[in-house]
Amino acid sequence: MLSPLVRKFVSRNPSKTVPPETVRTPAPLAVQGAVVELRDLTWRPFGRREPVLAGISLRIEAGSRVLVSGPSGSGKSTLLRALAGVLTTTETGDLTGSVLVDGSPPTGSSVALMMQDPGDALVAGRVGRDVAFGPESFGMARGEIWSRVRSALVSVVFPHDQDHATSALSGGGTQRLALAGVLALTPRLVLLDEPTSMLDPAAATMMREAIIAAVRASGATLVMVEHQLSDWVHEVDRLVVLDSAGRVTADGPVASTLASSADSLAAQGVWVPAAVAPRPLHVPRALCTPTRSAGRGGPSGPGAMLVSAESVSVIRQARASVMSANRPATAVEALQDVWAEVRARQCIAVVGPSGAGKSTLTALLAGVDAPTQGRVRAQDGLLAGLGAPSPEAIHRWTSPALAAGFGWVPQQAEQAVVARTVRDDVLSTSRRLGLDDDAAQARVDAMLEVLGLSALSGVDPHCLSGGEQRRLALAGAIAHGPSVLILDEPSVGQDRLTWSAVAGVVVAARDAGVGVVLATHDPLLIALADRQITLLAGRILDPAAGPQPPPAPGGLSPMAPPANRFAGLAGRSGPLSLLLASIMLVLGAPFISDLRTAMVAIAVQIALAPVVLGIGRPPWRRLMPGLFAVASVSFSNWLLSPGRGVSSGALAGLRVAFFVVPGVLLASRIDPSALGDHLGQRLRLPARPVVAAVAALYRFEGLGEHWNQLARIRRVRGLGPSRSPLGRARSVAALTFGLLIETLRQAGRMAVAMEARGFSAAVTSETPRTWAEPAPWRPTDSLMLALGLVVASMPMLFSHM
Amino acid sequence: MTQTPSNKLPRQNARTSRSARTTALATRPLMRWRGIDLITAAMLAVAFGVMFWGFDTFIYPILSTATAGFPPLGELMLGVWLVPAVVGALVIRRPGAALFTELVAANVELFLGNKWGAAVLLSGVLQGLGVELALALFRLRRFGVVVAVLGGILSAVFEIVFYEWQSYVPEYSSAWKAIYLGCGIVSGAVIAGAGGWLLVRALARTGALNAFPPGQEVREPQPV
Repeated sequence: MLSPLVRKFVSRNPSKTVPPETVRTPAPLAVQGAVVELRDLTWRPFGRREPVLAGISLRIEAGSRVLVSGPSGSGKSTLLRALAGVLTTTETGDLTGSVLVDGSPPTGSSVALMMQDPGDALVAGRVGRDVAFGPESFGMARGEIWSRVRSALVSVVFPHDQDHATSALSGGGTQRLALAGVLALTPRLVLLDEPTSMLDPAAATMMREAIIAAVRASGATLVMVEHQLSDWVHEVDRLVVLDSAGRVTADGPVASTLASSADSLAAQGVWVPAAVAPRPLHVPRALCTPTRSAGRGGPSGPGAMLVSAESVSVIRQARASVMSANRPATAVEALQDVWAEVRARQCIAVVGPSGAGKSTLTALLAGVDAPTQGRVRAQDGLLAGLGAPSPEAIHRWTSPALAAGFGWVPQQAEQAVVARTVRDDVLSTSRRLGLDDDAAQARVDAMLEVLGLSALSGVDPHCLSGGEQRRLALAGAIAHGPSVLILDEPSVGQDRLTWSAVAGVVVAARDAGVGVVLATHDPLLIALADRQITLLAGRILDPAAGPQPPPAPGGLSPMAPPANRFAGLAGRSGPLSLLLASIMLVLGAPFISDLRTAMVAIAVQIALAPVVLGIGRPPWRRLMPGLFAVASVSFSNWLLSPGRGVSSGALAGLRVAFFVVPGVLLASRIDPSALGDHLGQRLRLPARPVVAAVAALYRFEGLGEHWNQLARIRRVRGLGPSRSPLGRARSVAALTFGLLIETLRQAGRMAVAMEARGFSAAVTSETPRTWAEPAPWRPTDSLMLALGLVVASMPMLFSHM
Repeated sequence: MTQTPSNKLPRQNARTSRSARTTALATRPLMRWRGIDLITAAMLAVAFGVMFWGFDTFIYPILSTATAGFPPLGELMLGVWLVPAVVGALVIRRPGAALFTELVAANVELFLGNKWGAAVLLSGVLQGLGVELALALFRLRRFGVVVAVLGGILSAVFEIVFYEWQSYVPEYSSAWKAIYLGCGIVSGAVIAGAGGWLLVRALARTGALNAFPPGQEVREPQPV
């Protein structure tokens, strides 16, 4: 049943954790599609006046494929969540009516839900373990878990093997991983929420083919939400249309329903195939005029150069990570030797596949990032009209100076909220720059009116829908009259109405004299641009230069891992023994009662260090904070002890050194995921908290990156920290608040994804959760523990001598 | 109007929409943590871990050299490390929330390689237990500013009396130990207690806590 093409993708190396005799790739299991019945389903979350879903009644036959469409905010995603049974995971409200899948309420094993952002469903560091989450939740045996993992990865044609790191996947790879994760439970009903909206066209095509093949092979019923209909109309049998009040307005075979409701759908913003392409909204030019050129000696005439990027390269170092604290950092080359110019009254489109460096380049041009090499300079067109001379490199400009000249909307526009109400948010930059308040308010009100947000002026921006937040971010970027407007993927996942708004602002800004840069792969937006820069793997693709050799994949190679050196006892011990040994040292420290004991104990530790920690350069950087702590404890105890004795200070410092130095070094060898496995299986801690904690730990880098992104957004809006401590404190407080909000929202989405894969199934059923990887206790672990016990009890024994 | 069992909503104990000052409690039974409770507690802990990492790397060195001349003043920063316990308890409102959140945050610090090693886990347990005691004294029925401040104070007391007095400041004279404790208590009360309470209230107003009792307290009186 497997084609040779598919077989090429199957890993040849058996997973280390499964005995060799079970290595075979079974064909994807075929299932009976589920019959879905919705009877008068109505859902009103608390806090909303109107219900989101109103009286929906549908019957879906086994094995059919249904496409659900409608305007933004019409409850399509909510409908999918109701079908998956995860509606009350993150919200409470009034729910009436019933949802029946094969005659009973939906459970995680029969229904699979794939969410819009596949990153929300990641729970583990390695591909195989991530896919194993579903089978683990339903208490399957280890052998069956891994055979399901293999078959799921095969059915989605996953391009890497199952030990690949999840953090190193592209957008398309993550999406396919999410699909494999939901297919691992062989569901009878597959629910997909906009599966290709975040992908570029090439990856979207591959994903679509993977979905069709997998669903067809398994025979499950498919219900999917999309608002780009043209690619899917030939793959589905039935189209259901919801309106903005949450009611079903059309339902029937695809061709006839489309024919009858195409116009109303297009008017409500759905991308109907064969409909006329949407036209840019008419935005008055006066709303986008750069403040500088308004008669104050600004950009002089069409085409004046505003910003130039000269031979810029960006090399990203891997940053602090919970998961790889003791692994060598890999550097990634995001851009190499790129030249770009932004001119007034011109719109440039930066195009290329995902990962080509479009976001990196636009961030450089906006002055929110610094290039590793090369320069991004402001030219005369931008510098004229500024009073005092500014440094040429724009990433050194102060926040108000940057805000005066630039407007930037990042890819995830919902992060860009800086005030309590919509109106204040758009006004914030103008106010910070000290522009004339009446004029600014008039301009903002007009802009909100044009973009359809004036009814929401007093609402908290966090309550807006996705499309509304995108338009809000756009308004915020242009309302203060910048000379350069930079938009990063402004139309990804957006409906026709928001597309029109984006295109309208782009055209009006360009005509008003602003230099516009768009990073996009949307062909309709590219058609609006005057020039194109094509990026491929971080370099500019010059169409005039003829065929070029394909670029080396992946940029710089990662630093070679250190040659296999003796890793010491700690390198061969499991996480539990390392942790227990560290804790025992902490408990033994207070028994050190005099200097002699302390020095002997520390001497013993130093003598044991090569055996336990291995041979190699001592990691001074890791030890530095600990040694600093020892020094500060010594000093403070000397200062404030009754007799100001030097020995008191030294004793206190050595006592701390007894547990700090080895503790830090041992802890750095612990792998959090393995620790979770050991805690769950050896110590029999409750499984769900451990799994939740490990899944959250994998989000550490993402949250850190979010903090940086928030700081960048505030900087380009003129709200960056001022030099005074109070200003910095206020900025940190605002960033903290923003980070926590994003954390809570992400936690909610993660909870939905995990519950849909059966996270809490073990609570209601009697089958406890199993663990895909074993937690072995080896002799080295016992040795480590014994050694820890001996060293930790030395002070106690000595003090009795 | 039919309701399927799995979609039936658990009863809420709050009298919502009658007055704005009701206290919404967690859905009973209290030891039945929902999936979202666990995941949100863990994610909040990791977010605080991100901020602790930043604090440790950029701010703590400056502040501790500044207070090197008078170390008990450095203890005025203790409250920052107690915030996850208070926030976790106020958001989730179940027994064990403070302990779990603080432990996961301590684990983040451990894996990142903070300066105290595994001792940070012991600190985390003591700090979490302090807040749990405060909640238990009010029988898990009140979650206002008083409980939060008391939680901050008890958390600081547990941490200092049972751990820091023995490990970091064993040689101080009794008077200095008392001053050290006093600074810790003030910090716990103000930064963790009052600060944590204000933070939870502000988060509830943005609608980010809609799945939890603080969000329910804010939402139903003012539907959008």
